[in-house]
Amino acid sequence: MTPFLLGLIGLCLAYPAPQLLGHASWPYQAPRAAILLWQSLAVAAILATLGAGLATALWLVTAGNLTTIKVLAHFAVLLLTAVVAVRLAWSLVTVARETRKRRHRQRTVVDLLATRDGAAPGLRILEEQTPVAFCLPDRAHARVILTRGALECLGADELTAVLEHEHAHVHRRHDLVLEGSIILHRAFPRVRSTDSALRQSQILVELLADDAAHKATGATPLARALVTLSAGPIPQGSLGAGNATALRLARLESSAGEHCGMAALAYALAATVLIGPTLGLAVPWIIGAWRILNPS
Amino acid sequence: MRPLGDLEREVMNRLWDADGPLSVRDVLELMDSHDLAYTTVMTVLDRLSRKDLVTRTRQGRAFLYSPAHGRDALTSELMNAALDSAGADRTAALVHFTENVSPQEAAAMREALERIAAKDNDAA
Repeated sequence: MTPFLLGLIGLCLAYPAPQLLGHASWPYQAPRAAILLWQSLAVAAILATLGAGLATALWLVTAGNLTTIKVLAHFAVLLLTAVVAVRLAWSLVTVARETRKRRHRQRTVVDLLATRDGAAPGLRILEEQTPVAFCLPDRAHARVILTRGALECLGADELTAVLEHEHAHVHRRHDLVLEGSIILHRAFPRVRSTDSALRQSQILVELLADDAAHKATGATPLARALVTLSAGPIPQGSLGAGNATALRLARLESSAGEHCGMAALAYALAATVLIGPTLGLAVPWIIGAWRILNPS
Repeated sequence: MRPLGDLEREVMNRLWDADGPLSVRDVLELMDSHDLAYTTVMTVLDRLSRKDLVTRTRQGRAFLYSPAHGRDALTSELMNAALDSAGADRTAALVHFTENVSPQEAAAMREALERIAAKDNDAA
């Protein structure tokens, strides 16, 4: 029974649950909790899938008489399980390496081209007219970069809002949240839910950073900065990415902070998907498996 | 002691402004501060070449250094990465403040901004 139930839970967590969450709008009312929920879903789906594979493999060779077909199926299931694990591990290693390498290169270039600005440590001004603001997150050597054009078209309050937003990204390591979603997406690109997880996580971390800026400057400077800095040229291929900026403005307009009810619901769901299958199925199965493998 | 990063910046700028490849001695003479050691400049150039930012060619017993990429090429590399909000760079190396939007979306956003500002004014 355990292999079947774990498999079912794995499937539910990998497909319908993320689809539902990805199309829901309530996560935007509780971004912090929603991020945690996405991460719990991912971890729980992985654990359930790996657990289902191991449980099935063990069941095939321990229940009833051994037949050639069952032994072959045993190895096939083990192999499939190993493929899932290896894909994840491989994705983790390559994404982490690529991200560090690209970020390191970009930081080197920033440090060569951009000038320091006394306004904030880690702030660099790039002599370019196109108004752009971005950050290169890092544990120790983060950079916040504004172009000269951005600096010139932002008022003092608006600049503060942008800097608060970027510092929130940097200090709270939002990039790690995104990296987790990217790892999952890269490991299983054809599982559509990994794409909705990534897209929604990208918006959710922006909302979190907006909350920090909102707290520091109020809604209007942040809204004005958003409008000013999104008016630049649209690079090729980025159309159809969905307009997160409109969503961020709408949230500022309704001036809704974290919705406590929604947050509580998301935390409860996160705990359920993580702890439920583990305590209910995995732990009893591990104890059972231990007994089977150590009959003394 | 100046931070190494600042020295790398200055050395790169000298190389970019020069008409052709420079030797360590040339760079040393062009630097703003005159109390730099020859070995310091050599170390900086060596670091830059390990980062693929300068190329080194041998001429007789000395090495000549020139920038691997122009200043403009590096700037546009960075700007492309910064403006590419959903395209090729599917890593979280760089996080944008906002993505750029179409003119229609921009108009809708300006209206939202007016409403937010009006509400903030009322509250004040």
